[in-house]
Amino acid sequence: MIWEIKQRRPRHRTGARRRSAVIAGRLAVLLALTAFSALTLVPLVWLVAAALKKPDDLFHYTFFGPRLSAQNFVDLATKVPDFGRYVINSLFISSSIVVVQLLFSSLAGFALAKYDFRGKSLVMVIMLATVMIPGQVTMAPLYELLCRLRLVDSYLGLIVPGAISVFGIFLFRQSMLQIPDDLLDAARIDGCSEFRTYLNIVMPISRPMTGAFCLISFLGSWNSFLWPQILLHTSKRFTLPIALNQMVGMYQQSYGMLMAGTLLSILPVVVLFLLLQKEFVAGLTTGAVKG
Amino acid sequence: MSRFPFGSAALALLVVALLSGLWLAEDPVGGRKATLTLWVFSKEHYENYQNVLPAFLAKHPGVTVDVQLVSNNGLAARLQAAMVAGVDVPDMCEIEITNAGTFFRGPLKEVGFLDLTDRIHRSGLWDQLVRARFAPYTKQGRIFGLPHDVHPVALAYNREAFERLGIQPDRIRTWDDFIAVGRRVTRTTGANPRYLIELSDTSEGQLELLLFQRGGGFFDANGHCTLDNEKAVETLAWYVPLVAGSRRIGNDLGGGQVLTQAVEQGYLLSLITPDWRSRTYENDIAHMSGKMALMPLPAVRQGGRRTSTWGGTMMGITKRCAHPDLAWELAMQLYYSREKLADRYQKSNILPPKRDLWNDPAIQAPKAYWSGQRLGRIYSTLAPHVLPQYASPFLELAKNKLSEALVACVQQYNASGDAGFKAFCRRRLKQSAEEVRRQMARNPY
Amino acid sequence: MTTFKIGRRRADGSTPLPGGAARRTFRFQQRLAPYLFVSPFLILFAVFGLYPLVKSILLSLYVTNGPRDHVFVGLSNYRFLFSDPDFGVAVRNTAVYTFWTVFLQLPLALGLAILLSQKWLKGRNWFRLAFFSPQLVGQVFVGVIFMVLYVPQYGLVNHAIHAVHAGFPLDTKWLGDARLVMPALVLASLWMYVGFNMIYFLAALQAVDRQLYEAAMVDGANGWQQFLAVTLPGIKPVAVYVLVMATIGSLQLFELPYTMLQQSAGPDKSGLTIVMYLYQNGYITGDLGYASAVGWTLALGILIVSLIQMRVTGVWKGASA
Repeated sequence: MIWEIKQRRPRHRTGARRRSAVIAGRLAVLLALTAFSALTLVPLVWLVAAALKKPDDLFHYTFFGPRLSAQNFVDLATKVPDFGRYVINSLFISSSIVVVQLLFSSLAGFALAKYDFRGKSLVMVIMLATVMIPGQVTMAPLYELLCRLRLVDSYLGLIVPGAISVFGIFLFRQSMLQIPDDLLDAARIDGCSEFRTYLNIVMPISRPMTGAFCLISFLGSWNSFLWPQILLHTSKRFTLPIALNQMVGMYQQSYGMLMAGTLLSILPVVVLFLLLQKEFVAGLTTGAVKG
Repeated sequence: MSRFPFGSAALALLVVALLSGLWLAEDPVGGRKATLTLWVFSKEHYENYQNVLPAFLAKHPGVTVDVQLVSNNGLAARLQAAMVAGVDVPDMCEIEITNAGTFFRGPLKEVGFLDLTDRIHRSGLWDQLVRARFAPYTKQGRIFGLPHDVHPVALAYNREAFERLGIQPDRIRTWDDFIAVGRRVTRTTGANPRYLIELSDTSEGQLELLLFQRGGGFFDANGHCTLDNEKAVETLAWYVPLVAGSRRIGNDLGGGQVLTQAVEQGYLLSLITPDWRSRTYENDIAHMSGKMALMPLPAVRQGGRRTSTWGGTMMGITKRCAHPDLAWELAMQLYYSREKLADRYQKSNILPPKRDLWNDPAIQAPKAYWSGQRLGRIYSTLAPHVLPQYASPFLELAKNKLSEALVACVQQYNASGDAGFKAFCRRRLKQSAEEVRRQMARNPY
Repeated sequence: MTTFKIGRRRADGSTPLPGGAARRTFRFQQRLAPYLFVSPFLILFAVFGLYPLVKSILLSLYVTNGPRDHVFVGLSNYRFLFSDPDFGVAVRNTAVYTFWTVFLQLPLALGLAILLSQKWLKGRNWFRLAFFSPQLVGQVFVGVIFMVLYVPQYGLVNHAIHAVHAGFPLDTKWLGDARLVMPALVLASLWMYVGFNMIYFLAALQAVDRQLYEAAMVDGANGWQQFLAVTLPGIKPVAVYVLVMATIGSLQLFELPYTMLQQSAGPDKSGLTIVMYLYQNGYITGDLGYASAVGWTLALGILIVSLIQMRVTGVWKGASA
């Protein structure tokens, strides 16, 4: 937009020269953007190529080789028979966390946005205070606690503490503040219970935010590494990041296979992202821009 | 949009959660519990044990054994955490030699493995195995692991390239001989660099085994850190000029597929090779079949020790094991029996630590990959000369500190050359050792 | 703050309400509802958030061997931590990484956002998608990909640089040379995060009042002056938010180097970060007490850095929204 305005600035030039300057400027911008986006995509294109090359061709061709091959995926299935299990583990853990987080965060966000109750400001202050404290602080006592609850090395040990999302509560509170009170009152007058109001009025209105939250939250738990790495002991329960991190040490001889595994690991996220792209960008920026 | 109040994305995720949850419920992890569960971290071991198992199971009807392949990354830490947390652990587990000390951090009675000392003496293993190999698995005189191997070290070389360059392995007896050759054939610059030997200038791998060759090490039998003794200083001051400065003869590009390329394309001409590593070349650098050969390590001095040791594995029986006798029997079968010995050796090239197995024809047989050399014979003549190394919970730390000292000394040598170099090495090793001792002093157990 | 307005309405009698017992349950339900709505979160938060937080302060005063053995040592964990040269290296590495990622990442992200916000530009969505795509790849996966890209002698990065600049040795070991590990990490993280931050700047740029540009133009301001006078103040709250978040994220760096350097701290600890130090010295050894001490030290560090940033930029409350 800055450039654009500059172009409209009156200058002592002929119209044709000005137009050519404008075109040159636009061309430069387009060129810069194209170059940068190409550079950004190189590692991803290379990843796809490496996964689809014959394993021996990896270092012989920069990107795609003369022959496409599914050999890397076959290797993955035979050498790491549990890979499918890791995918299921990751899907289960991540989607469970998202669903529970969504329910709890939107409920609490609703309460904080649309009700006055005792201790409300205290809750807000405590949550704000803990937002700044990194997760690494609580990991050790949390591990100890989960040992006592016999939840170490279990899916529940990841899902239950993972159900808290202070970020989600702020996100939902922020968007629910915009809902007019009259709408809620009208629902109450129609005889809706408070929970019905939440379910039938509040949540449908907040849908764009829900979509964004689902993606952000899913991305977070799908890629999370340190906590599952500490908590899970049995390899059959591993999530994809842990499994892949371990495969790196074990299959130095099969980079192509590692790339096939990496590709499969990021595919679900890509699918979800493409489905929810618009809401994602909106939700991601809402907190910062409107806050 | 769906009529689900949380939107279609949430609905989709809910369905995914339910479906995957059902799937996982159908296939629970601890579902069918075997009589004995064994964790191994090496693919080769895993395949071998699958081979030996049927004979064991035939002898013990009704018994089931579940061998699980797990990654070595963080295995010891994970198992140690599981043991102290009281979480389900396997009945038996293989542990890599560096990590064995992890289990010895707390008090003796808190070690999560069974004390095998009495069994080892009663069964005669104490006299039948290469005794040096018990040391890494011993805490305060008590043995907690059975040694899987000896892992003697030799030098593997590109025979074709050696012949082309007029290098005669028979005439290389000491490191001085070897270095002289290296100075002649190494090219550090140009389009096709070439190094006589794979040696790392950043990690302690080869430096460590050359330290062992001279009788040095990280800890002594009493667990004191010996990282800064005179042997270590000498080794380091001798090693650094091999990987630093313009007259260096060694480099290292990393492992895996990169190593394969580096050997095939003549970037590296020789590699320090314990028995287990020789087998990985046969798989990973298959194109070099018939072009590789093996010679003993050059000695420090004329007539000196021509080997060292690199790596190792133990098998322990955990305290949670309900059938320790059965587990012991299985360990004997997997480690020290003649059952499928030829097969096991073929798959791994690993020399068992039990001396009376070395005369097995399979072990003594010539190998085509190694230009027809009798690989097992070479390694078994070197094996009795392997020196003990001692366990410590701080072994990993000491290794890191040695590699830091190595990097510092390489930088110093690149900057200032030989002047005052040995004194610098001494100071730097002292610093590293002090850091290890400080950590040790913090441990209240 | 939004207040609950039923009471007022009942007072002026304009709102018909259900009568009698029904009204009482209605009001009771309304008073109870917020507690019910926050309670699932609050209970979990108290058990798995607050309790461990308080407990970790106590735990940091012990040396432990797993979750069962505890030996009280007072402040000696902290004393040891601050005298440990390894921790010094971890702090230095983390600081260097944070400095470079923030000061390369944010200007680059802002620049791309400005280019992308041209009104005449077609296919803006495609560019945005391209720039954002690396963000979908988690740190562990980025680590695996770049580990292979950085391979010496045969890897893509070395061949690309060699093609541009023939004097560049092909056997340069990005991950095996203590001096190159940090640049390799910064490069990989640039790839990951530039597009992510760009999205924030893009949204902020779109919210800047266009009339301000017109006014600046009338005053005869050139492009750079407009940027300083209009764009920067306009996007300041977002910029500070992005700055603080990027800094906090960088200070917690772990997975990327841990995967790329194959579960190690790299040659000469050149890839050792504070969280990696915490993991290796706390969890690998089973010393949960020490892990807590490192965690709190990191938390205080993050707090101090964030407060300084907000102070210096003059935005005290902006970042918490």
